[in-house]
Amino acid sequence: MTTEHFPEQEYRRMIKMCLRCSVCKWIPQVQIKSQKYASCCPAMDIYDYHAYSGGGRIILALAYEMGRVKPSDDLLNIVYRCTECGNCAIACKYMNTLEPLEIIMKFREKLVKDGYGPMPQQKAYTEAMKKVNNPYNEPHEKRVDWLPSDIKVDPDAKLLYYVGCTSSYRRKEMAIAAARIMNAAGVPFNILKDDEFCCGSPVYRTGDVESFKVQLNKNLDVMESKGIETIIFSCAGCYDTFKVDYPLYREYNFEVLHTVEFFEQLIEEGKLKFTTEVPIMVTYHDPCHLGRTAERYEEWAGDELKLMPLVSINIPPKPKNIGAKGVYDAPRNILNKIPGLKLVEMERIMEYSYCCGAGAGVKSAFPDMAIRSSKNRIEEAEDSGANILVSACPFCSTNLQDGIKESGSKLKYYDISELILMALGLDPEKLIQATAGGA
Amino acid sequence: MLEKDILKEFQDVVGPEFIDDGDVMTNVYAYNWCTEFVNYMEGKEPIPFSPVPKAVILPSTTEEVQKIIKLCNKYKIKFKAQSTGLGPWNQPSTDNSIILDLRRMNKIVKIDEKNLYAVVESYVSGAQLQAEAMKYGLTVHMPGAGPMASPLASHTSMAGPGFTSPQTGHSARNVLGVEWVLPDGKIMRLGSLGQKNNPDWFIGDGPGPSLRGIMRGWVGAKSGIGVFTKVGIKLFPYPTDTKFVMTGHAPLYNFEKPDYIRAYVFDCKSWKGLEKIMLRVEEEEVGFIVSHISGLAVMAIFSYSIEGLMDKMALGVLKNPLLVVMGARTKREFDYKQMVMEDILTEYDLENIIDTKYVPEKVFYAECLRANLGYHGFIATGGFQSAKGQADAAALCLRAEKTNIPLKQKYIKKEAIANDFGEGAWMTSYEGGHFFHMESPTMFNQSDLKSVKGMANYMDESNKQDLIKHLGAPFFIEGDKLHDEWGPHMMNYHNWLRKIKAAFDPNGVADSGFYITAKKECENK
Ligand SMILES: Cc1cc2nc3c(=O)[nH]c(=O)nc-3n(C[C@H](O)[C@H](O)[C@H](O)COP(=O)(O)OP(=O)(O)OC[C@H]3O[C@@H](n4cnc5c(N)ncnc54)[C@H](O)[C@@H]3O)c2cc1C
Ligand code: SF4
Ligand code: SF4
Repeated sequence: MTTEHFPEQEYRRMIKMCLRCSVCKWIPQVQIKSQKYASCCPAMDIYDYHAYSGGGRIILALAYEMGRVKPSDDLLNIVYRCTECGNCAIACKYMNTLEPLEIIMKFREKLVKDGYGPMPQQKAYTEAMKKVNNPYNEPHEKRVDWLPSDIKVDPDAKLLYYVGCTSSYRRKEMAIAAARIMNAAGVPFNILKDDEFCCGSPVYRTGDVESFKVQLNKNLDVMESKGIETIIFSCAGCYDTFKVDYPLYREYNFEVLHTVEFFEQLIEEGKLKFTTEVPIMVTYHDPCHLGRTAERYEEWAGDELKLMPLVSINIPPKPKNIGAKGVYDAPRNILNKIPGLKLVEMERIMEYSYCCGAGAGVKSAFPDMAIRSSKNRIEEAEDSGANILVSACPFCSTNLQDGIKESGSKLKYYDISELILMALGLDPEKLIQATAGGA
Repeated sequence: MLEKDILKEFQDVVGPEFIDDGDVMTNVYAYNWCTEFVNYMEGKEPIPFSPVPKAVILPSTTEEVQKIIKLCNKYKIKFKAQSTGLGPWNQPSTDNSIILDLRRMNKIVKIDEKNLYAVVESYVSGAQLQAEAMKYGLTVHMPGAGPMASPLASHTSMAGPGFTSPQTGHSARNVLGVEWVLPDGKIMRLGSLGQKNNPDWFIGDGPGPSLRGIMRGWVGAKSGIGVFTKVGIKLFPYPTDTKFVMTGHAPLYNFEKPDYIRAYVFDCKSWKGLEKIMLRVEEEEVGFIVSHISGLAVMAIFSYSIEGLMDKMALGVLKNPLLVVMGARTKREFDYKQMVMEDILTEYDLENIIDTKYVPEKVFYAECLRANLGYHGFIATGGFQSAKGQADAAALCLRAEKTNIPLKQKYIKKEAIANDFGEGAWMTSYEGGHFFHMESPTMFNQSDLKSVKGMANYMDESNKQDLIKHLGAPFFIEGDKLHDEWGPHMMNYHNWLRKIKAAFDPNGVADSGFYITAKKECENK
């Protein structure tokens, strides 16, 4: 991307334009199916004050710019109690041309630049990322501890599996499942081992853009030096960061795919064959980073044509990211192909899916908010009639499983790759226990 | 900020997490859309911030509201209640105020599907209530503002026309029992809700003068006469089958159009023709939407972006367009309604452009059914506000529309408002054409000072024109200054309104920036 995707002057113009209509508190109006699941914003659902909504955050940005509010703990506590899930932006952009999520992100960037953000816990994980390449402050040398000895990795492969920090250290079952599926399909793949570093998403989303740039350069240098052609990700957050955010700062020329996209291709090509019935009823949670926020910015170099006073149009029309190009079909197609499996939908899905509650530094700085949001989502999953909740992101996995535990729900959680393993005739739990040595 | 001891008393009512008197929160609640031109009209700096309230408080029950209001009386602090809070009329007129954000009062108390009414609290949105009512084959009246607004606010406190008004009426006419916390903290229960035995919500009046009139009249008291905590409102049959299936992605969802729904847009070619045809369509009671909108507005309701709007230039040439959307539950009903419309088209030599010259996106029908058309008004400049607001006969509404055109054109020439050829208007009927509503939506740019000032001057001139040309009362006659201007022309109604205000609000604590003060109340500011 050669031009700045959200320039300062756009920010300054837009923060004056909020209608305070509250549309951003709800899923798109025409999609509302019940009173219970009409809302779209985890922050609003928990804290209630307008300031926590997408629109409220825009007002705060304006008040900050005008000097009406000064940096304070109160301000940071509102600004950072937001998962940057982007649901407000989908609702607003249904008709409007504002960019609530861009404004939220840029406001955080300003607070960091001005020396106030992010929250102390987020500063701590940023330091950890700089020191040991992961925000969990785990030893770098343990990054590949998840890798069972019987998994075949091909150091010469041009297909790279980027595992990510959360799957490497916290959700090892996902890393193992993804690797086993590729082995089962006979697809040679490489992993970076010592050369894999945090993608930078956790620091980017809290506004520390400078630390993020260092991280992305570090990663891209490694990947380009190895001549990687395709990278696959089982983490929606890493995927989104590579796919959408990296190109805003540095172009690269490899392909990025989430495992659900890649596995769907393998199924289509007949490389993965489902042989075993998995007679369960599942509901699928769309991770924000695989869905609505995973749309690449399209460069626009057109002209703004003033049609008449106050009314301008863009020629050609400026591409508007409104969630339509997220990855929604691939996971559903996979699930629908698993013999015996029944997929039922929750009320809030796809581009207006409800966030698990963990993202953008919330899980570390405001664990109570993360759990409360997760419990809201768990209730919705239960109401769908399913007894299994499935998703495709290790961060969602952790938070949704925490929510299940906290709410005493009977739901069971699986990553989609684990269900694929079952359909391939491999019992994931046994396999993981047997091979990961108590992962 | 509140004094510490006073804050503590409020905290004791709602709990410390539900009151915030910090700078950050109170500044957020000082902002609203269109506040910049309201400020300008009042001779203040044209910024989108009103006076900053002392605190924001979020009660969850009627009892909490009552206690808050009693504290306001004790400490002579004004209060402003808000539901979803859209628009400048939610803003305090003084910094000696607190805002009651009623977000936590969000229950649908009941849906009585047999007697066709629902009881709701403040922060149930129109879309939420409709979604639940649809489960019984019913719908609810929503204002043109859209389904995100609060039916309680619309029914008790503010205006009330909507796109489905031909079928669902006007909010003022749909109010049943009301639970009302008066400005002195006492509770009033209107109509059948006030009965000693078996109180219920089914009617809003009892013996004696109508308290509903005092509560809201035609335009609403905008929090100037207490806080409404629950309201019974009428429900109506949903116009079609309630099966509502959407696939695809925003905004152009693929809506499975119900079998029995049809839209008509035709050019009535002259003002006289429009009046005659609109009355006729209404008389036949076939449409759940019957709206006269300008050519530009026809383009807007079918568009989802400014570029999409420009694609539809061919629709903009319609001179006196009428939009009719009809729905039916059975084939027989549908055939009958279509036949009636065919007769009207033939009789007046009209051409329906829908599905002949223009095929709407499927989601358009979903938006008609879910009351989402008004939001398209923001498409061109991001900001709009309406002048006029007459509620009268079709002839008067059209006269108001016509006389507004040259005035609007004057401001278009000044490049203060967007060019809709001066024709931007929305006119709908209520209750089968017994009376009509007309307003003149005007697009401006709220971030452009010239546009803000121009818009304010235009609104002012438009109001004056209504007075001089005997066009009835516009709906934004609010606040002391305008009431004092209009009262002498209308039976000195403002004196009566002041007496009501004084009787109901002896300490003048219900913020009346958008209502009327009892005059001496101003001294509390
Ligand atoms: C673009 C746009 C289009 C609009 N179109 C229409 C239209 O077509 N028809 C129409 O009728 N209106 C219209 N309005 C005006 C208004 O937004 C609506 O009347 C709407 O119903 C208000 O609902 P709300 O939830 O936003 O209420 P709010 O904005 O929260 O409140 C409206 C007023 O009522 C007061 N209030 C709210 N709740 C209470 C309560 N519980 N007790 C006491 N006072 C209370 C508030 O102080 C405020 O003055 C429009 C507004 C906009 C911005
Ligand atoms: S951010 Fe958009 S949807 Fe939210 S209040 Fe502002 S204009 Fe409305
Ligand atoms: S990004 Fe998500 S959590 Fe943040 S304000 Fe928007 S909807 Fe709420």
